[in-house]
Amino acid sequence: MKSEILYPGAFPMVRVELTAGEHIKAESGAMVACSPTIDIESKMEGGFLGALSRKFLTGEKFFFQTLRASRGPGEALLAPTVPGEIVILELDGVNEYMVQKDGFLAGADGIVIESKMQSLSRGLLSGEGFFILKMSGKGTLVLNSFGAIHKIELKPDQEYIVDNSHLVAWSSTTSYNIEKATSGWIASVTSGEGFVCRFRGPGLVYIQSRNPGSFGAWIRQFIPVSE
Amino acid sequence: MSSNALCFGHNHPASGAPCFVQVDAAGLTIIFESTGGGGDREVVPFAALSVSAGGLDHDHLVVKWTGVQGEQTLYLKDQDAIRAFRQTAPDDLSLHFAQAAELVRQVRQRRRLVWGLALGMFLSTVLGLWFGSDLLVQIAVSRIPVEWEQKLGESAYRDFLAQQEVIKEGPAVAALGEMTQRLTEQIPNNPYKFEITVVKSDVINAFALPGGHVVVFTGLMKKADSGEEVAGVMSHELNHVLRRHGLERIVKSLGLLTVVTIVLGDQQGLVGMMKQLSVELLTLKFGREQETEADVTGLQLLQRAKIDPSGMIKFFERLSEKDEGRMEWLSTHPMSTARAERLKAELAALPKKSPEPFTFDWKQVQASLGAQLVVAP
Ligand SMILES: [Zn+2]
Repeated sequence: MKSEILYPGAFPMVRVELTAGEHIKAESGAMVACSPTIDIESKMEGGFLGALSRKFLTGEKFFFQTLRASRGPGEALLAPTVPGEIVILELDGVNEYMVQKDGFLAGADGIVIESKMQSLSRGLLSGEGFFILKMSGKGTLVLNSFGAIHKIELKPDQEYIVDNSHLVAWSSTTSYNIEKATSGWIASVTSGEGFVCRFRGPGLVYIQSRNPGSFGAWIRQFIPVSE
Repeated sequence: MSSNALCFGHNHPASGAPCFVQVDAAGLTIIFESTGGGGDREVVPFAALSVSAGGLDHDHLVVKWTGVQGEQTLYLKDQDAIRAFRQTAPDDLSLHFAQAAELVRQVRQRRRLVWGLALGMFLSTVLGLWFGSDLLVQIAVSRIPVEWEQKLGESAYRDFLAQQEVIKEGPAVAALGEMTQRLTEQIPNNPYKFEITVVKSDVINAFALPGGHVVVFTGLMKKADSGEEVAGVMSHELNHVLRRHGLERIVKSLGLLTVVTIVLGDQQGLVGMMKQLSVELLTLKFGREQETEADVTGLQLLQRAKIDPSGMIKFFERLSEKDEGRMEWLSTHPMSTARAERLKAELAALPKKSPEPFTFDWKQVQASLGAQLVVAP
């Protein structure tokens, strides 16, 4: 899987080149265009029950598409739903990343994707639901964000605090705790800050420069309420 | 030879340098991948190491030492390497590691326990809902402290206010203040501090948020023929707050999971979820039973406060005629003659009390609000 980001910035696309027989996973709906040699298979990762329980518990539509170059080499153009940057990571078999569920765009065949349950309080507090995706294995991983992607590099034991709705992905060597944004959580609710994650290095944390939830709330005020 | 660990330190990239760790009697041999054939390797004796558990799920073996390049931290997740380390390392290190491993086990066990509990609660909740969901909702609601409700309402209130013109003083504010005063005096053990906001808008509406914010639009005040009519709406709205109808709706719409959460005692999670709902609170529609409850308890409250309850009924009757204006209160409060009839019956059942009039002159209050009601096209 060779990949290239087209139109970097707010409205990027990624071009993925596949050799004959190669296949990749992509978020369902990410496919924009492709060569006629490529077949698209929608499949429920983790079987029917897995997909069902994810849908039930998180309300997400987490189906992957498999793009397979079954009739010879070809390319596919992939794009995320929301405006925002795309970042390409190379996994070397040792690095693992946790990715919030909207952050995944595509991954090479060698990437292993697992839905992972967060601990109950983490899941509730972070507002990201109970499942995050764990990416391991070897190969190219394509992530997307809402807004720009910013990389935070943490040294061992270095800490950093991130508003959890800005999280995209983080290495599994980091650990984090969920905290109230300010001294009292009551203040945090009224100030609209919500909850934050205190990350502890070593490792990388990728964040997005825009908060989808706040954006949604901002949009909603312009939508007339019927009824 | 593929990497089985990540090494962190000033001389390595922040994502860690992939490396291969070999365990033998002398200690650890770390061979770095990037340098290719046999280049960079470091041998560290066990005596130099300190060991702990780390990583997202505390399932990494973290090994630290100070080498030629300064402080180095190794994250091992590979099971074979961890086993080899455990078998080969001297006892005092193994002890540390055993403690670390114990920690991992505890974390895992605790998590399994929590999920098991959650599942158990989930199943019993499903069963419970089968037999009486309202009871469960009420139990859940009763466990939420009033302060949380207030903060929740507060954030919705601010969202709303950002786009509104507020009337801060004058006869209208004073009149509503008097009504609220008369009503709240009759509420025993009232945990809420009601705050009334008058918003300049021809919309005929009023609403209450969880925790005690009540918003009244000038359109509603212009539409009412007397202070008693507005007091009727106020009393109805105050009772939505007192009966915690907003919370009930939220808990109902958040569903099973929330109920499980609250029963489990993880109430902080609820706040996170509620936060997302603050905008939706503003368009909250109460259920028919809640409306009836607010009507009836509202009527009783008026009676206790010696405010003529027929004003409330009159206003409801006129609203049900559905005529001019943008009747938004109607959208959340479907008016039917049955509703007014029911109140008449309730009123008849209550002991007669002679009402005490308000001190303000309603026509003057209305005059202070300026131009007459503009009929929307
Ligand atoms: Zn009502």
